[in-house]
Amino acid sequence: MTAVLEARNVTMAFGGLVALSDVSLQLAEGQIVGLIGPNGAGKTTFFNCLTGLYTPSKGQLLLRGKRLPGDPARVTAAGVARTFQNIRLFPSMTALENVLVGRHVRMRQGPLSSLFHGPAFGRGEAAARERAQQLLNFVGLGKVGDVLARNLPYGDQRRLEIARALATDPSVLLLDEPTAGMNPQETEAARHLIFAIRDTGIAVVVIEHDTKFIFTLCDDVSVLVQGELLVRGTPDEVRADPRVIEAYLGKPPEEIEAEVHKGETR
Amino acid sequence: MTRLTSYLRPGMALPLRVAGSVLVLVGALLPWATFVLNDGPYPAKSTLQFFDAPFEVGGFRLHMALLGLAALVVTFAPVPGRGRILRGLGWGAVLVSAVNVLFIAYNGGGLGAVTVADMPAFGGLVALLGGLAVLAGAYAGGIEQPVHLPTGLNRFVAWAVLLVSFAGLLMMVAWTLTAGGQGGVANPYAGAQFLSFLGFAGGLLAALHGAGVLPWISRLSEDHRPFSIVVLLGCALALPFTGAGTDYWMTVAANIGVYAATAIGLNVVVGLAGMLDIGYVAFLGIGAFVAANLSGAVAAKVDITLPFPVAAVIAAVVAGMFGSVVGSPTLRVRGDYLAIVTLAFGEIFVRSAQNNIGGLTGGPNAIPGVPQVSMFGTGFSEPITLGGTKLPSGVLYYFLTVLLVALVMGMFANLKNSRIGRAWIAIREDEDVAKAMGISTGRIKILAFTVGATTAGLSGAVFAHKLGTVSYESFKFLESVTLISAVILGGMGSIPGAVLGASLLFVLPEKLREFSDYRLLLFGLALVLIMRFRPQGLVPDRHRRAELAGEDIEGRPLEETVSEQAHLPTAAPVLPGEARA
Amino acid sequence: MTTLLQQIANGIVLGAVIGLVALGYTMVYGIIQLINFAHGEVFMVGAYGGLATYTWILPHSMRGHWQITLPASMLGGVVVAVVVAVIMERFAYRPLRNAPRLAPLITALGVSVFLQEAVRLFYPDAKSARPFPAMFVGGGLRLPVPGGQVILPWIRVALVVIAILLAVALQMYVNRSRMGRAMRATAQDRDTARLMGIDPDRVIVLTFVLGAALAGVGGVLYGAYQNTINVDMGFQNGIFAFTAAVLGGIGSLRGAVIGAFAIGLIKTLGGQYLPGGTQYDYVWIFVVLILVLVFRPEGLFGEAEKVRA
Repeated sequence: MTAVLEARNVTMAFGGLVALSDVSLQLAEGQIVGLIGPNGAGKTTFFNCLTGLYTPSKGQLLLRGKRLPGDPARVTAAGVARTFQNIRLFPSMTALENVLVGRHVRMRQGPLSSLFHGPAFGRGEAAARERAQQLLNFVGLGKVGDVLARNLPYGDQRRLEIARALATDPSVLLLDEPTAGMNPQETEAARHLIFAIRDTGIAVVVIEHDTKFIFTLCDDVSVLVQGELLVRGTPDEVRADPRVIEAYLGKPPEEIEAEVHKGETR
Repeated sequence: MTRLTSYLRPGMALPLRVAGSVLVLVGALLPWATFVLNDGPYPAKSTLQFFDAPFEVGGFRLHMALLGLAALVVTFAPVPGRGRILRGLGWGAVLVSAVNVLFIAYNGGGLGAVTVADMPAFGGLVALLGGLAVLAGAYAGGIEQPVHLPTGLNRFVAWAVLLVSFAGLLMMVAWTLTAGGQGGVANPYAGAQFLSFLGFAGGLLAALHGAGVLPWISRLSEDHRPFSIVVLLGCALALPFTGAGTDYWMTVAANIGVYAATAIGLNVVVGLAGMLDIGYVAFLGIGAFVAANLSGAVAAKVDITLPFPVAAVIAAVVAGMFGSVVGSPTLRVRGDYLAIVTLAFGEIFVRSAQNNIGGLTGGPNAIPGVPQVSMFGTGFSEPITLGGTKLPSGVLYYFLTVLLVALVMGMFANLKNSRIGRAWIAIREDEDVAKAMGISTGRIKILAFTVGATTAGLSGAVFAHKLGTVSYESFKFLESVTLISAVILGGMGSIPGAVLGASLLFVLPEKLREFSDYRLLLFGLALVLIMRFRPQGLVPDRHRRAELAGEDIEGRPLEETVSEQAHLPTAAPVLPGEARA
Repeated sequence: MTTLLQQIANGIVLGAVIGLVALGYTMVYGIIQLINFAHGEVFMVGAYGGLATYTWILPHSMRGHWQITLPASMLGGVVVAVVVAVIMERFAYRPLRNAPRLAPLITALGVSVFLQEAVRLFYPDAKSARPFPAMFVGGGLRLPVPGGQVILPWIRVALVVIAILLAVALQMYVNRSRMGRAMRATAQDRDTARLMGIDPDRVIVLTFVLGAALAGVGGVLYGAYQNTINVDMGFQNGIFAFTAAVLGGIGSLRGAVIGAFAIGLIKTLGGQYLPGGTQYDYVWIFVVLILVLVFRPEGLFGEAEKVRA
């Protein structure tokens, strides 16, 4: 399997604080990969390194074997798109306009063309709008294109963010907690949406807290704890791994008591 | 306001409204001043004499009578949005009576002047009371939801509506300019007359807005954009044929045009891209000095004389280059620092100009004697005759500025509705996310500065010829503050807003000469108040309007447009360009 | 040589004034991430407050004694400056705490313009420069140096001494007192600080108060040093102070002071030795500002802004 996206031994340190330590990840064509872990484990930090917001202290980030650019705009141009943990839409633009901003990087009209609105401009705009509307339809927001993003309900806003990211024609999509705050129906629909995205040929990395969601969605799951990659494998393997259980649920009470005892008698 | 209005009961509505309207009407007919004022167009002293004297369109009594009559009619007529209309009319009556009462009391030596010094003269207070009653009645009956008038009209009906509306707008502008005559000089009542007219016009507009007419017209004009543009242009060009067609007003209007064009350019930087530039007037200055130096003026350092259009383009380009220069260091800098840096550039420009840097700016002597623009054999400062009508001098400059404003407006609109415009707005709303969407924010921000500066430079060229003298005094910090105020007041990102803001801020000082000392003070206060209470300005652009009115961008109320229940996509559609392998 | 040393001395004196204002800028920015554009006007208002105190409140008999006039004027200046700053924070800035960035910026601009004009229009005769009493009459520190003497009139000595004392006091307060800790916590993470029981509103008001007090003192001392004040003094010195704060690293108290002295020296030495003379000395300051912002926006002692996603 050729890896579309690969992270090799990524370490990210902010001064004395080591947020990521020697993290590696591979994403193959047509794969959906999950990234889970307790809060503060460094998952979003990892995304930020991938998209060029942070420059890793050590390690390599590769897209189809070539180094990823260190600048977010160029990363997107190269084909890696993302959504954000706390939704960051452009609040005073409509849904359609938000998606159109996503098209920016694939449109060609420069300032002079935009100034004069010649025929080439008209064609480019029309094509972009059509594509944007298609994407809205795809995520189920076809009828609310003219609503301001800030006026959309929460679940719709999450879907809009995904549509906007898709507008950049990515080959890799990074989703940061796409189902946070969603009810079960919305979560289910999100699952199907991500499958549909994968079926169009886009590889996906998903950060999530909803482990059930991850296990029924992903081909491959990595567990990040305190900046380190704890376990990586298929959902079944990860689910059964005792270290993962411990990381999420903590040690069983009897074990903790035993440890305390040991400390006291020393 | 809500605490006061909670004392009103619905049952009080009708009596309040009727009583108020009647009081306003009655007040319009009573004497307002108890003493003998100087003869003049204002104010009429006695009561019934009013009916003998010729009607004067600017007279406050006529305004009051109209407002009262309208209020009475609306109280009983089955119109939608009655409460909103009455609220507007009520405010109009309150403002007109308040302005006049204050003026009379101030000049007449106290409250006695409006009550009973020599003779009973309660007109003003009666009308004021009436206005307040109408207001109270409006609130008591309940302020309705915004009225939505039908928009899917037959094209010709829409066109007729637009024609009438814009013609009305033209007359309104002409009356506003001429109300109170030319500020200060011959007519000591000018300021009060003007303010009184503004109160009346404001009340009328508020009433129309309440009836849903204004948003309706606005929507119609958007739906029939090409037609609206032509009609508006025609109306603007027709201004010299109205009562405002005097030398004086042509000059003022031309000045407003130049500043309006400059404000639109600033609107690109501030309103669209969200970057606060408070040294912007420097670009106007650069354009003006370049044009002056290329105009063949005696004091110009450069010995070349170029025809006006060529010089104007050069001025615009030079200013644009400076815009790029100013934009560059600001890229790594966030909003707050950016403001200071632009201020620094502005100051550097003014001081350099003051010190006659490179001999190009004339220093304290400025560059006088910039010749008028001369094309097709006519100097632009000369009066001309068109088809039998004699037009005032300076009218050609006015036409030139109308053209300038139209050009700049078109440019702004085109840019806003394009990939670049959206990128600017994205940067304004959330720059990091804009970057994540693949936008090269650095280049796009410099572009905003360049576009803004080029616009200002072009306006500067017109400015230089119109004014005849280019001096550093015209480009000080005060002017930058005024331009920022115009953009904010008018509405950030809104084209008509910038024009309205610039107009207001340049007409008001003309009209209210008594307050000229307080100009900056009021600007500062206005900025604070606007940011606090109405940050979207007077004419919010479509997005802001949608935000405020709970509508979508096409004006449909939000409940009507509902997204599909989150559901399974029926099929994975093939997205074009998806052949990724 | 004497000229050089004299100019250095002048630069240090100027730096002391600028430092008093720069501290206010840097503190407010550290806490609410807003450049209080109107802070320069607070400095100006403080000067006029001091003048008013001297002219109308102080009995004539006490006028000759600097031990009374100086503290009294400073007190008057501080009171006026603090009142203005508190009102400004409460009514102009606080309502806009959560508004998009542009709104408080524009408001700050409006407040600045308003204050400047208000003083110009309503303070008696403020339309032109007003003479400000020199607190000390004659005399000063004479320092022998190679080539002659450097003369430092007492007021300048007082200025530098007071400024340094206040800066040190501020630093100690912020680092050691309970409220100071609260200020630092709020500056770093307002929400968590609130969770710890710190009332951010009170902390912010305190920040404004402290900044205004320093600026007020600075205004009075500057007036005494120049023997004249006018309504423009806040505008230019404000820009210098802001540049100093940026140079030192916005948010850092130490940086503001060091930056201020640097700016003071650049202005006096630049005016003396660089082309353009005193006409263009402010230009060099702006050049410094732009260079800092382009090459090292975090300044000497500040931290690079981390991007959060």
